Amino acid sequence: MRAINSLTLLLWVPLMSGQSTADAIESFHRGQYAKAREMLEKIVAASPDNSVAKTFVALSRAATGSCDAAVSDLGQQFLNNADAALRRLAGIALLQCQLARNRMEEAWPVLAQLQKSFPEDADVLYETAKIHMKAWNDAVFQMYQKTPASFRVNQLSGEILEIQGRYQDAAAEYRKAIGKNPAALNLHYRLGRALLLESHQPVNLLEARKEFEAELVLNPSDAVAEYQIGQILVAEQNPSVAAHRFERAASLNPDFAEPLVALAKLKSEEKKYSDAVGLLERAVKLQPLSESAHYSLMIAYRNAGRMDDARREKEAFDKLNRLPEGEFSEFLKKLGEKAPKP
Amino acid sequence: MKWFAVALLFWAAPYTPQFHNIAASAGLTESIPNGGAKTKQFIIETTGSGVAFLDYDNDGFLDIFIASGEGGPSRLYHNDGKGHFTDVTAKMGLGESSGWAQGVCAGDYDNDGFTDLFVTYWGQNRLYRNAGGVHFEDVTERAGLKQDRTRYNSGCAFLDYNNDGHADLFVANYLKFDPKTTPKPGENAYCWYRGIPVNCGPRGLPFDRNILYRNNGNGTFTDVSDASGISKPDQNYSLGVLTGDFNNDGLVDVYVACDQTPSLLYINQGDGTFVEEALLRGVAFDENGKAMSGMGATAADYNGDGWLDIFRSNFSDERETLYRNRGRGEFDDSTVAAGMSVNTRYVGWGCGFFDFDNDGWVDLFLVNGHAFPEVDRLSIDIHFKDRAILYRNLGNGKFSDVSERAGPGILERHSARGAAFGDYDNDGLIEVLINNQNEPPSLLKQSTRPSNHWILLKLAGTRSNRSALGAKVRLTAGGRTQFAEVRSGGSYLSQSDLRLHFGLAAARSAERIEIDWPSGTRQVLRNIAGDRVVAVEEP
Repeated sequence: MRAINSLTLLLWVPLMSGQSTADAIESFHRGQYAKAREMLEKIVAASPDNSVAKTFVALSRAATGSCDAAVSDLGQQFLNNADAALRRLAGIALLQCQLARNRMEEAWPVLAQLQKSFPEDADVLYETAKIHMKAWNDAVFQMYQKTPASFRVNQLSGEILEIQGRYQDAAAEYRKAIGKNPAALNLHYRLGRALLLESHQPVNLLEARKEFEAELVLNPSDAVAEYQIGQILVAEQNPSVAAHRFERAASLNPDFAEPLVALAKLKSEEKKYSDAVGLLERAVKLQPLSESAHYSLMIAYRNAGRMDDARREKEAFDKLNRLPEGEFSEFLKKLGEKAPKP
Repeated sequence: MKWFAVALLFWAAPYTPQFHNIAASAGLTESIPNGGAKTKQFIIETTGSGVAFLDYDNDGFLDIFIASGEGGPSRLYHNDGKGHFTDVTAKMGLGESSGWAQGVCAGDYDNDGFTDLFVTYWGQNRLYRNAGGVHFEDVTERAGLKQDRTRYNSGCAFLDYNNDGHADLFVANYLKFDPKTTPKPGENAYCWYRGIPVNCGPRGLPFDRNILYRNNGNGTFTDVSDASGISKPDQNYSLGVLTGDFNNDGLVDVYVACDQTPSLLYINQGDGTFVEEALLRGVAFDENGKAMSGMGATAADYNGDGWLDIFRSNFSDERETLYRNRGRGEFDDSTVAAGMSVNTRYVGWGCGFFDFDNDGWVDLFLVNGHAFPEVDRLSIDIHFKDRAILYRNLGNGKFSDVSERAGPGILERHSARGAAFGDYDNDGLIEVLINNQNEPPSLLKQSTRPSNHWILLKLAGTRSNRSALGAKVRLTAGGRTQFAEVRSGGSYLSQSDLRLHFGLAAARSAERIEIDWPSGTRQVLRNIAGDRVVAVEEP
């Protein structure tokens, strides 16, 4: 329960009607949960209508590990307290209690309500991340415990290793998964991708291409595997065959913009700039937020001599490419502008 | 089978170079400190330092300067002309050069006929005036180059941006760094690499701006960064500086390789100002519009079309980037088309085009080494110390990676940073000098030699700046014309031979050498015999 924001609790101190309630809440704030609980229980016994004290009784019970005793009151306060700040506190404590009691099924509705009521609250978002992480961990644990020989265990291991940047190890896990279930979709694709992430050396290109071809045998309509083969063929200096693969990828999935961008680059290499422009205009329509499509279209317009259009695309690209707020770029910039100390 | 035998008779295997590291036997034995070797606390320990080939005493042989990180002096070595280098750091007045030296560039800023040195620092840059080839004098303050605060200066280059006959100075700035306020490894999201805590940055650290100093012609410089527009871009982490007339308008432009942010191309407007146009000209990003972690940059006309192309070294999990100039200073990313898309596991730094086999087509070399020593803990195929890469120019717009068979010098693993290119023994083959972190430098020399011919041009300006910076040479030999420019700086924080080297293939002489001097003078030389150094003075 230490995660309950003590700064938030501070706000309540001056609002207490009775000095003893304020003292109890202050004790809670200082982390003296047992003392606060004792004081607050006495206050509530004497004044059952003191909703603030009732809320903090539940909070202090939760903080002293008595979640079973606290959840009922926390649930009531979370749903019915007139004060939004107290509802928020009760909801967060309730969620933490349900997690501590391993009652995931009861935690999800609390989280949903918290997200709805406080969508931009950092504490709520933090608890959201935590509960999803716990759910993920629980599922993985069960999977490894109950189906250790399943190909899914190897597949998941491969995906985790990929995230960690251990591509060789990931590829080894995908190979084990394929060995166990050669007909499973996506395994060859994941293996091919891991090989490309590891390196673009010729041997990796060759091996990855084999895997994407194997994926296509299982699923001939896999546009992404077609696209990957096209990219490998480009790297292998075989643009004409690559173009056919990109065309096929685009026909398999008309909403897939990447093969159009790749095809346009090949057209540009051949100096067929108007063909490139046509493909890229389609790509931008399909994926208006694609930086790659806008950038390529800007270059294609420039190469075609359509400088006004190129500048317009540059503006579109600039907007997409602007650093997100989370980069603190303005903050950092201001920091850098501080006058030097003498 | 008869036709096959005949065909074999006329087919000759391409020359295979054998590069060896001869640094120790040449006298380059001192280790160059540069931060932690196993772990690094701060970004200043990662960026390393440059090297320089320059003939400071005009004896016709290239000498060596090696910039050092904190813990040792930058070192100057004299070339005795017989393949041996002697440390003359103290004798030449450079013994007090401690600190975090970053970049080095050379040029004769005072037109006295002796090449001067500029060294950038995290801290205070230093201009060393070459006093008659017998002593270097620190004239930083007198020249007006003292900075009013601690700056993380990185690449530099002398250039005559206003063609007034005096070499000006461009200095890139990486970021604002203060060890007292910079978070430690693992302290925030920008201090992690693949799950391990590493030094923080550049993301998360404040940007800084680049600097242009105008040479006043009287031994002093004026900061014209604001007036010239150079200081306008303020969202970039600038490292390697590359000068060149990329749009062939007679005015030198400046390209800056930037880390994790768009690279910059300052186009010279001819009125003392520059406009940054990298995005529309196609050299800010990779072919997908993604900013790379640019480190070093080099330029040459690799495809023989008369326009300067650009190569930039990048981080691991990125491709290197080759930009082909399609004319007028507009570029296409031709990395994949040129066959350079295979090396994605290296962090590249110093790089340069040079013709290792003198076949008349510039090849490409780059050195590598990860920024974080901690990467070795991951036991993956990316290493703190890594080998170099050598690409052979196939003469058809494509390159072939010949690193694995180009000799042990290429395959040695170091965490290399700066690299410079020059023919230190005037034998017509280019050597490569490399600054390795916390190790002695490497000096790569071929033990074999191709049968092709060559020529080295040493240009001296009279009305133009004395170092001939910005002079353009079109050399025709065997019916083919090559194009090159004289430049200061380039590669990664380094200075290569100011002389221009051309491979002549089977031709024993150049039919025609056309020189466009920065002053506007055009000079044409005819039937110049090869296999020698040719000195040319501006008429």
